[in-house]
Amino acid sequence: MKLFLVGLSYRTAPVAVRERYAVAPVHLVERDAKLVSEARLDEAALLSTCNRTELIAAARSDERALDYLHRFMREELGDGSAAPAQIYELRGGDVVEHVFRVAGGLDSMVLGEAQILGQLKDAYRAAVAARSCGPVLSRLFQHAFRAAKRMRSNTGLGASQVSVARVGVSLAREIFEDFADKQVLLLGAGEMAESALHGLREAGARRISVVNRTLASAVELAARHGGSAHALDALPAELAAADILIASVQVERPLLGSAELARALGHRRGRPLFVVDLGIPRNVAPAVAELEDVYLYDLDDLEATAERGRQQRASAAETARAIAREEAERYLAWLGALPHVPTVRELQERLLSLAKRELARAPAGDAAQLDRVAEALVAKLLHRPLERLRREAAQGTSSYYAAALRELFGLDEEEEE
Amino acid sequence: MTLVCLGFASALYLFAAFVGFTGRELGLGRWGIPLVLGLAVLLHGAGFYGLHLQQPPVSLSSFPAALALIGWGVALSWLVLHAWRPGLRSTGPWIAAIAASFTLPAELGLQLAVRRSDRGEAAAVAIWSHAHVLLGTAGFSLLALASFAGLGYLAKERGLKQRRSWHHGLPALESLDQAEHVTLALGFALLTLGVATGFAWSVSQGLDPWNRHTLFLSAAWAVYLVPVGARVLRQQRGPWPARGVVLGFLFLVCSYVGIHVIGAGS
Repeated sequence: MKLFLVGLSYRTAPVAVRERYAVAPVHLVERDAKLVSEARLDEAALLSTCNRTELIAAARSDERALDYLHRFMREELGDGSAAPAQIYELRGGDVVEHVFRVAGGLDSMVLGEAQILGQLKDAYRAAVAARSCGPVLSRLFQHAFRAAKRMRSNTGLGASQVSVARVGVSLAREIFEDFADKQVLLLGAGEMAESALHGLREAGARRISVVNRTLASAVELAARHGGSAHALDALPAELAAADILIASVQVERPLLGSAELARALGHRRGRPLFVVDLGIPRNVAPAVAELEDVYLYDLDDLEATAERGRQQRASAAETARAIAREEAERYLAWLGALPHVPTVRELQERLLSLAKRELARAPAGDAAQLDRVAEALVAKLLHRPLERLRREAAQGTSSYYAAALRELFGLDEEEEE
Repeated sequence: MTLVCLGFASALYLFAAFVGFTGRELGLGRWGIPLVLGLAVLLHGAGFYGLHLQQPPVSLSSFPAALALIGWGVALSWLVLHAWRPGLRSTGPWIAAIAASFTLPAELGLQLAVRRSDRGEAAAVAIWSHAHVLLGTAGFSLLALASFAGLGYLAKERGLKQRRSWHHGLPALESLDQAEHVTLALGFALLTLGVATGFAWSVSQGLDPWNRHTLFLSAAWAVYLVPVGARVLRQQRGPWPARGVVLGFLFLVCSYVGIHVIGAGS
């Protein structure tokens, strides 16, 4: 059985092309079923995310399978708009390593991101539901999930944040345990502030207020997130109640200085205030960082943390790639030994039957005990030759040994009584 | 039995600390360290039961027994705190190390105490002495945890202010603050009871209630009034109560050393 992969991704095709080849999750099962309906493939699965659409298949014949996958990609999934150079194909071990790297987030736009693993699991579940996934691809997916777990836990890949918005949320987590009862104050109604707010909302923030010079924009943003909107003159009161302040207004000089914040913090009794200043020029005077219980981070601080995260991920990715290669080799060893499974099973059965027959001639005893002795004896006798067969299979040189075993033990002949 | 149980408990505390600091997994996910600590606490408790069975019993007011009690109290209190605030999980290895650092020397000291009790040197078994030692050491353990949370708070606060990343292994500021609040309130209440029963003990033995022992302890109690007033009664948060809790514990340790090492003078 051979493995094939045909697909396109953000590395080869722009979003304008990728979106034409994307498959909605609700249609995955139906497409998987169609993929294997023509009997040119033994097994197949379809992975479709915003960054890639890939067909993964196992088949006995080379060219026919690849032709079919290319045609399916062109005619069934897309509209033929992708240039030939935008569609890539992989075979054999390259498919395995690619799938393992994808599972670990090593081939993602944001290196080490974890969302792809969930999408790969969805692709596997859809293929199982469509009955397009057999032992070869099932084992490939299961092995990929294990490899991804190993890559993440052994290398710290994904532990550090790499986007400014995520860094903001991750820093807020260093201060607050829970966001549900925290008051988030947005100063300004721009896109940057909303992007940071999205992260906090995902983390559980529910109490949101928006203060803006133009009240209409504040009302619009607050309505989208279920918060309250206020004009700029409400800032001191809102500031006194806030736990997290995200500032992103267009100003010529800082809107908030130490004096304003000190006044707002007067009656807080040490309750911390986390300030994220996303404005350029800065909205909050740097001297505010000196105030006790105020934790001020501006864009440069967040970007520096994100950059450190990117460097950590890049360094972890090197180790993770080595893990992907190692796991791919293990999978390929299993795949190489797969054709010999019937030979091994027949050999075990033949020897076991012989041993049991001989033991039956022995004086009466505990039959179950004798059976166990026979099984242990056969396992011991076969251990060395089967181990050798597995090793040869991993190197693709096992056919000679398998044929020799069949010949020497007469597996193709009728068993003698 | 006592010494075997305490020996195993110390080994488990050390094991939990080693596993935690080296980032190893026990195949039990996030429950690994709490489970090992829980097992150690059970063995530790069995060790105390063994002390109680000893004929004549080893006094709980002896220095090694008090040390072992503090180690036990720290680990047990952390387990309860952890069940309430799972965010404190990352402090588990530190707690295990602290518990081991109390239990190991206690075990060595107890070997001598058990030998003495075997020779028939009976321990004082007044009800007030037991109450004083148990309440005092339980309070001491909780205040040790409070000061540990306070130190963590100050370290984390500094890291956040300096925009460094070394503090990321510590729990969130809010978790540390709440842990400090609860352990301070409970620890202070137990210490108060410990001081009161100490007076009662002295009086019941016909001793001067203002001996050096009770004076040391009362002074430490008085020092704690400031952080307790700020954090528990006034609900003040942040670095100031944390500093108070750490300083209060330092004073308590000095008092403890004064009582047990320099001499009670009673």
